[in-house]
Amino acid sequence: MKSPWLTLALLAPLSAAVAQDDAAALQLADDAPNIVATPRDWAAFVELALADTQARSGDDPPGDARLSLDARLDRALAPGWRLVLADRFDARWIGDIDAQRSVNTLKEAYLGWQPGPDWALDLGRINTRYGAGTGFNPTDFFKVGALRSVSSVDPGSLRENRLGVVMTRGQWLWQGGSLTAMYAPKLDNAPSDDPFSLDLGASNPRDRWLLVAGHAFTEVFNPQWLLYHEAGQSPQLGLNWSVLLGDATVAYVEWAGGRTPSLAGRAAGVDDTAFRAALATGVTWTAPNKLSLTLEYQRDNAAADAAQWKALQNGPLDDYWRYRALAGGRQALTTRESAMVYARWPDAFVQRLDLSGFVRHDLIDQSNAAWLETRWRGDATDLALQWQYSEGDALSNHGGLPLRQRWQVLVAHYF
Amino acid sequence: MQQHTRSGLQGWFLPFPFLSSLFPAHSARTPLLAGLLLCAAASAFAAPDAQTILAASDAVRNPDKPFGLTTTLLEYRNGKQTDSTTLAIYSRAEAGSGQFRSLLRFVAPARDADKLMLKNGNDLWFYDPASKGTVRISPQQRLLGQAANGDVVTVNLAGDYRATLAGEEDVGDGDRQQRHTWKLDLKARALDVTYHRIEMWIDTSNNRPVKAQFYAESGSLLKTAYFRRYQQQLGVQRPTETVIIDGLDPNWVTVMRFTDYAWREVPETWLQRDYLPRFRPQ
Repeated sequence: MKSPWLTLALLAPLSAAVAQDDAAALQLADDAPNIVATPRDWAAFVELALADTQARSGDDPPGDARLSLDARLDRALAPGWRLVLADRFDARWIGDIDAQRSVNTLKEAYLGWQPGPDWALDLGRINTRYGAGTGFNPTDFFKVGALRSVSSVDPGSLRENRLGVVMTRGQWLWQGGSLTAMYAPKLDNAPSDDPFSLDLGASNPRDRWLLVAGHAFTEVFNPQWLLYHEAGQSPQLGLNWSVLLGDATVAYVEWAGGRTPSLAGRAAGVDDTAFRAALATGVTWTAPNKLSLTLEYQRDNAAADAAQWKALQNGPLDDYWRYRALAGGRQALTTRESAMVYARWPDAFVQRLDLSGFVRHDLIDQSNAAWLETRWRGDATDLALQWQYSEGDALSNHGGLPLRQRWQVLVAHYF
Repeated sequence: MQQHTRSGLQGWFLPFPFLSSLFPAHSARTPLLAGLLLCAAASAFAAPDAQTILAASDAVRNPDKPFGLTTTLLEYRNGKQTDSTTLAIYSRAEAGSGQFRSLLRFVAPARDADKLMLKNGNDLWFYDPASKGTVRISPQQRLLGQAANGDVVTVNLAGDYRATLAGEEDVGDGDRQQRHTWKLDLKARALDVTYHRIEMWIDTSNNRPVKAQFYAESGSLLKTAYFRRYQQQLGVQRPTETVIIDGLDPNWVTVMRFTDYAWREVPETWLQRDYLPRFRPQ
């Protein structure tokens, strides 16, 4: 008979403490300020970055600085009509205040018309991106030539700071699915170095079209199919599919395939067209403390395999660098296989402190690249420290890069 | 705190002395008729079904037609405000399941403006207007501070949980008033939910949710929520504030405020992954 009373006696102080905690929380809520934030049709930020780079050769380049202005407008002009503008301006200084170089990237400028809930049309420069992958996107067909100014190797940054493609786009929607058709004409022949060029040669170098169809048959089976064609090439098929495993894990696969030349063939001007596929597949697991870990396997059958890579490394340096420049411009894999771990931890250790980073491991030549970021989020200003490092044998995928290590501190203010 | 057990609840409507005067003890029909009448009386006075109470409480929180509202989250650590987020939320119930599909748009802070999250049960998609990418996220992949993704959107608990009546209790509500409540014990129907068990206190007089405690699969308390500041919104008295207290660290508090309730017709065809890049509020 004693035990219930004993239990009650033991629990009583605990219960009182809980009541006290609850009362304190409710008092906080009573005193909470009345915050009013209204939606806006524009967003803008300015970012200042200072970097120090160490070269593999030991001949370190001077420090550099960057000032970027990034703005986006999405305005309703009339019922069903919208205007979207997105632009980024990067000013860079290398070593000397006089050694300044600017690049403007007109990311988007298009007019949208949606006469009804089930279909819509857009016309202009549109940044459209597909792909379930984290560090490699075979179905992101419009990524080729889209990078005009690289400010970070973070995959997120590479997706944000790129040129859109001038196109006409139509979308037809039904419950649980849609069909999107895009046509991007050839508008110029070659990319431009002019700081304020629209760079139509980079965004629209040939006639292209893309069809994207998706339908959620069930919560589990909701693939997205893509069919892409560019002038002079065979059509490419693409697939994106992601699925939830439990309440903390997402598994995904991104695949694209079709008859296409190899990267080495393109670089050498040799037509070795054959069926080739590319794949990115992985899992993202999130811990209760918000740490998300992604493990991704990447494969591109158009990229050099071990023998081809060895041949490129042992061949003329011009051929090697031409191949690498082509791979970089196409945002393709440099070698056949790669693995990547990507981590993101918002509110790590303390609130408002975000950690993120990745390690890429080349499975062909065993070279590695790493990038880490510590970011503190203020109310409207971020402060970040980034570290980039690459290692491997001479002329390996990551060890062949001229830059061995790079530190970058940046401050961003959001308006 | 006054507590009635379930057995106490059964004793609540017994005895009925007037029955003995209607049916003398010697009557042959007495046992049968008395039994029938007892059953009828019992059903008339019995506590409502737990699932019905839960569904009624869902209706208090959730409008029955497509609607929109603004949710402001204020996060506190050790008595100091550490973060705030404002979201515009659009919801509509699915015709078949009755479960809500919600589209959540970040309004503030400025760095997150116009990011979108689409939630249809555990089917969660996140869209970033900067990267133009739409990616699937898991329920565990929280985009907000303390609040789970499911905390900030409309959820009909009756669809996801099996409720049993654990008793009646008088509890203090979020506005420091004593409320006589049904205490419901909710068990998740599926394993892939954020909260495996919920204890919920619902006002017996009007089915308003008063308080809830959310538990992990291990049985540990994840958070306590008070539903408070009831106001007339879209035709019903609804809570306009939820105060969430962390189960492990009671000094971690999130205040969720609901304003700008309005009927908003969000077409079915917009509540899908491929529409997110195009979505803009009406």
